Amino acid sequence: MTMFHHSLFVLIFIVAAFAAGKKLSLNTENSMLLSAVTGLVAHIFLPKGVDPRSVLPFAEAIRHLVEGAFTYFDVCLIFMTATFFMALYKEAGGVAFIVRRIVINFHNRRSVCLLLLVLVMMIPGAITGSGATTVLTVGSLVGSVLLAMDVPANKRVALIFLLAAMSAACPPINLWAMMAAAGANMPYVGFARPLGLLSVTGALFAAFWLAGKGKPVDMHKALSTLPEVPEGWNWRRAGAPFLVLAALVLAGRAFPYSFPVLGLPLIFMISALAVFVISPSRLPLFRVAQHTVKILLGLVSIMVVVGVLIQVMTLSGVRGLLSLAVVTLPLSVLFFTLWMILPISEGMLQYAVAPLFGVPLIMLFNMKGLDPVVSLAAWSVMWPLGDCLPPTAVVGRAAVMELDFEGDYYRGFVKTALPVMAFILLLSTLFMVYSKEISQVIGG
Amino acid sequence: MNIRTAKLIILLFAGSCAAIAGSLFKEHMEYKEAVVASPFLSEVRKLSDYSDAVKGSVNDANVYIFNGPTPGGTVVLLGGTHPEEPVANLSAQIFTENVHPVQGRVIVINRINTSASMATRMGEAYPRFYHISTPWGVKKWRYGDRLATPLHSWPDPEVYVHYPSGQNLAYMDVRNANRTWPGRHDGLLCERTNYALMELIRKEKADIVMDFHEAELEYAVENTIVVHEKGQSVAAMASMMLTSQTFDVPIGMEFSPKALHGLSHREVGDHSDAVSYLVEVAEPMLDRIRGITDEELLMSGKDRFVMKAGEYKLLYSPIDESGWPVEKRTARHVATLMTILQVNNMLAPEKTIILEGIPDYREITENGLGAFFQNPDEAPQERVFYD
Repeated sequence: MTMFHHSLFVLIFIVAAFAAGKKLSLNTENSMLLSAVTGLVAHIFLPKGVDPRSVLPFAEAIRHLVEGAFTYFDVCLIFMTATFFMALYKEAGGVAFIVRRIVINFHNRRSVCLLLLVLVMMIPGAITGSGATTVLTVGSLVGSVLLAMDVPANKRVALIFLLAAMSAACPPINLWAMMAAAGANMPYVGFARPLGLLSVTGALFAAFWLAGKGKPVDMHKALSTLPEVPEGWNWRRAGAPFLVLAALVLAGRAFPYSFPVLGLPLIFMISALAVFVISPSRLPLFRVAQHTVKILLGLVSIMVVVGVLIQVMTLSGVRGLLSLAVVTLPLSVLFFTLWMILPISEGMLQYAVAPLFGVPLIMLFNMKGLDPVVSLAAWSVMWPLGDCLPPTAVVGRAAVMELDFEGDYYRGFVKTALPVMAFILLLSTLFMVYSKEISQVIGG
Repeated sequence: MNIRTAKLIILLFAGSCAAIAGSLFKEHMEYKEAVVASPFLSEVRKLSDYSDAVKGSVNDANVYIFNGPTPGGTVVLLGGTHPEEPVANLSAQIFTENVHPVQGRVIVINRINTSASMATRMGEAYPRFYHISTPWGVKKWRYGDRLATPLHSWPDPEVYVHYPSGQNLAYMDVRNANRTWPGRHDGLLCERTNYALMELIRKEKADIVMDFHEAELEYAVENTIVVHEKGQSVAAMASMMLTSQTFDVPIGMEFSPKALHGLSHREVGDHSDAVSYLVEVAEPMLDRIRGITDEELLMSGKDRFVMKAGEYKLLYSPIDESGWPVEKRTARHVATLMTILQVNNMLAPEKTIILEGIPDYREITENGLGAFFQNPDEAPQERVFYD
């Protein structure tokens, strides 16, 4: 047995264990954990090829499991604090205030209304890098307005998902690009323009394709479905927490050598404190914090378990095998298949695909003379589209849950989203193929 | 079994795993590497003797100073910038344990980013230690991460703005000791470390600074000397001599890009009188397409997945069945530095540095590295130090 066979068999064990876990009705997180542990056991016991190998003591095997669990610890902290901030803002009535204002002011101007809803949807994901956070914080409210705009259920849930996906891709925080760039020792610099261009175009296309046509918003119907806003809200109050957030982020950039380094988790917590201060009503901080942890438990669990799985895959050579399989494909084949490979792999592994495929692809594209920044930006817009695909389907599931969607997941929601997804994938593929030329135009 | 019992069992299992792993993390973090300085050691100072920026921090490294009997130039050797590149600190330590300065001075720091050597890189499945057989037993070193651990430097800024250029870099690069040159007195850990190192370089009036590194074979800057423009003639001649006379795989020479800030080959040359060099050698362990990850790969540099990528012309360095063993990688770095000194002595005789006691390329590759490390248990205790 060669090392290729070893890694291939470990991969087969990992896939089989995952499938068995699902068959036994385990949730995705536990199925992944089962597959990681099975992969580790298989790695220990299967022959490893002709070359000498180091012994892996039991305690070290355990250490790999625990160490892997912390791979995305910082990302989880950002998720938790950012979602807490947005959840508190929602609880205070800030989100409802903004959405109601949009409806009242622009109900007879469907396009403007849509544009503003896109803006509302893009902000949470852009600042957290998480589509799930977008859906969980503003998804249901925007969904209510879409209902009032007579957008059918399939289109509503598809649009909420697509906007959430594009918000996660939108700069400044794109976790896929950040993780892949870090893995390739490449600065996370120059991504704002290509990411912004692709994600905003994708979001606008989704909004107008799925909800552009229809009668004007029924203001009374829309307002009746939206939660009441506590007395005392105005634009100044509504803008204050975001002003604090922006000020803290920008201060770090404007005065990098004198302003203390706060870190994104603390910035979000200070912004949450601003929500608490400006809220016209007293906020149940502890209950919101509890609720935040509860709604994020699935997502954070996946991040933890994906870290474990990646560590086991790296240890056993599976990561190398998969990466090698991708980078040894001819470039033309990659151009024609990445639009499919990336979303599907995202559905399987979530953010872990960024270091898994992103890093070797960066190296390959760089070697072939393509622009790695624009290319990575293009992949980083393709990846989140896979968040409605099995087995994880984190954002898709969240959208269905938040909108109380009762239709068919695949034939209803996913099928409706497909044309828009195809457009975004095509656009991203063109960015990738012509990355060099595009970087000269927009700067990569 | 009811759900509470099941939860308790899971909690106990997870707690046991955490306890086992925690004890290993602690062992890794607390392990101290013995260094037996050569008998020609003049003094050992702390990095904080040059600047209080690192005083009390984990990166307050030992600075080994060797003064020759005859005045000449001063060379500063930096090891352990990226502790996932073990040949960097091994090469530095070869000098610390063997050097006999005949003319000029040598100043060595085996690990400039100790913090990064105290934990491995999460998700990369690295071993915690690596070992080298010596005539007197097995010697052990910490294997580490590329970046200082967040346990010592956290949080990271949202975007790392390099000082003083203002260039934006990835947030985690603020923990990368080769992105934070020339450093900042009041900055984060690596910025402070590099500030203190710059103070050392300036106060000791260093003429040459060498920063040892390794790189993945997929990476374009490979098997090369990256040099500040002040050292182009020396580096070019050293590269030609090594390629034609010593190495089986050629070593190239590249100029330090002027627009890329934070790296030693750029900033040390710009902010001091020293000429800065950085050397890279192939380390298959760093390739993301590698196969099984273990200490054997780290030391032998043999990997069939990386070889396969080579067949597809995806690498910037050759690799075959013999791999890139640690002896060969270290020997290249040691020989490169010695050749640079040799050429520099010809071009700047007033800054001559003559070192003896350093094994040559053939000696290291044939005898292995273990032959050049001394037994700390038998060495005079005044020459034994811990990094």
